[in-house]
Amino acid sequence: MIIKTENLSKIYDEKTMPVKALNGVNLEFGEGEYTAIVGPSGSGKTTFLNMIGGLDKPTSGTITINGANITHMSESKLIDFRLHNIGFVFQAYNLLPVLTAKENISFIMLLQKVEAKQMNARAMELLRQVGLEDKANVRPAKLSGGQQQRVAVARALASKPRFILADEPTANLDTQSAFNLLDIMAKLNKQEKITFIFSTHDQRVIDKANRIITLVDGAVHSDESRTNR
Amino acid sequence: MKVMIKIAWRNIWRNPRRSLIMILAITVGLWAGLFVSALMFGMMQTRFVTAIEQHISHIQIHHPGFLIDKNLTHSIPDWERLRNQLNAESGVRAFTGRAIVSGMLSTATQTRGITIVGIDPAAEAQTTGIDKNLLEGSYLEEGMRNQVLMGRSLAEKLKLRIGSRLVVTFQNVDGELLSTALRVAGIFQTANIMFDEQNVFILKSGLAEYTGNEMLVNEVAVLLHDHEQAATKSEALKAIYPDLSIRTWGEISPELSYIQGMGQSMMLVILAIILLAVAFGLVNTMLMSVYERVYELGMLMAIGMNRRRVFQMIILETTFLTFLGALTGMALGYLTSHWLGHTGLDLAPIGGEAMLQFGYPSVVYPMLETGFLFQLSILVMVMVFITAIFPTIKALKLKPAVAVRND
Repeated sequence: MIIKTENLSKIYDEKTMPVKALNGVNLEFGEGEYTAIVGPSGSGKTTFLNMIGGLDKPTSGTITINGANITHMSESKLIDFRLHNIGFVFQAYNLLPVLTAKENISFIMLLQKVEAKQMNARAMELLRQVGLEDKANVRPAKLSGGQQQRVAVARALASKPRFILADEPTANLDTQSAFNLLDIMAKLNKQEKITFIFSTHDQRVIDKANRIITLVDGAVHSDESRTNR
Repeated sequence: MKVMIKIAWRNIWRNPRRSLIMILAITVGLWAGLFVSALMFGMMQTRFVTAIEQHISHIQIHHPGFLIDKNLTHSIPDWERLRNQLNAESGVRAFTGRAIVSGMLSTATQTRGITIVGIDPAAEAQTTGIDKNLLEGSYLEEGMRNQVLMGRSLAEKLKLRIGSRLVVTFQNVDGELLSTALRVAGIFQTANIMFDEQNVFILKSGLAEYTGNEMLVNEVAVLLHDHEQAATKSEALKAIYPDLSIRTWGEISPELSYIQGMGQSMMLVILAIILLAVAFGLVNTMLMSVYERVYELGMLMAIGMNRRRVFQMIILETTFLTFLGALTGMALGYLTSHWLGHTGLDLAPIGGEAMLQFGYPSVVYPMLETGFLFQLSILVMVMVFITAIFPTIKALKLKPAVAVRND
């Protein structure tokens, strides 16, 4: 078991106008899962991802990742924890515009203080895996949206995380780019056994998931596993 | 650190126009500030050097009574012994003995009080360089009888020119009033109009002839090789001549030492004010830069960039912007000051006459000391640090969960 949440709740603006974003969520995620978290807007998908990503703190409940309770971890420890355990793919603006594709991927390894030679080799390998080895020295402004997201996936993988959180990764992509990205992520999921957890409205993502969790009003409405995808 | 430097350097060129404007503002501010400071310092230094070398010298020696009543009664006893002493002193560049009396100068139409200074022309030229300040006519020479040198402004006021006649009236040692007619041999101008209007120069031997007294000396002006030796030399002379009044330039003209001390302090104050004004622009630029990158900073913190690196990045960006402008501004300020320090800047068209009234020459030679540039660099570094604080605090307060949604 990689991730476990117990009775996880989050209330925003408790004192002025309380909004219950998450309401007693109990979920577990294992290695190699490819999970889509779906639900209407305001159902708590992004809030849940922020919680298990260590980007926000719950109002109550606990979050355990790789056996470590991150619920009350300090800010600085959480930053370090994320660096070594969690990969992120955001909806947009994933990459530093002043760094090339290779430098963006290397950057995360630099933060981990990986040795330079090893860092360069791994960055090129990851670019090859996402099919962009010929774009190593190109800055994000010269890449298409789909290519940028593929570099973002490569960067998320660079830190060798236990799982990758992707918040609406296909929202800004055209159909073909979205398919390409999803194919790569599915391939990496199968080959590297990396857990992917998506927050999404995109049916294309949902179709590829082997587990679909539906949130409604901050609570788990359904949790469906699919053996074939 | 190398990657952070690379990121910071590239970040400042994401908006090249804004960065160039900021760099230009810092460049112009420092260039102007340095130049103005060098100009002021040069003016003060020139005033100092001129006052010493043309007027008061490093040390003046008098009979104590002379300071109260300027007449030949209060002459220096045993002037020969003092002259031999000064000739033997290694630190003495030049000296001159003068016979000074207060008197009246009369023309056909005007009369005014003046100080009549009897000089040894050769010694006076070596000590004050008055011969180099002649505008017209000729300098005094032994044997030239009844000749006088006067300042241009005095000559203009009295409507005198070369060859004009005038009468001077003064007291001899016996208290008798004497008058003698003189002709204007030369007209001079120093850097101090007040001095020029108050003093006329005749031969010391001539004054002795007019008074019927032996050649007396009641003022000795001493010019040293090193002005910082003035106090030491003065004390040494006081030990030998305890009955004489022996004063340094600092005692004769205390405002000159204030000028020396104030010069660099004023320069730093001017530059600090300029840097403060520039700092506001820099803070604004950096804050805008942080606001524009809220999402990006949130993303960086989400993926694992700690606050120390965020701080590093912003400090480096601020440092690059500032130092690009500062180094250019300081280089331009130094070159401009250095060049004009050789050629001089003639301020006569814009108030040179007024400057002469206060003892400042109209041609100014800007001066910059290397030590001052070092102090300025420290000020600039302090400014970098202070201006980086506000945008850094802004960036560090970002919550990644909120920032990554801020698109």
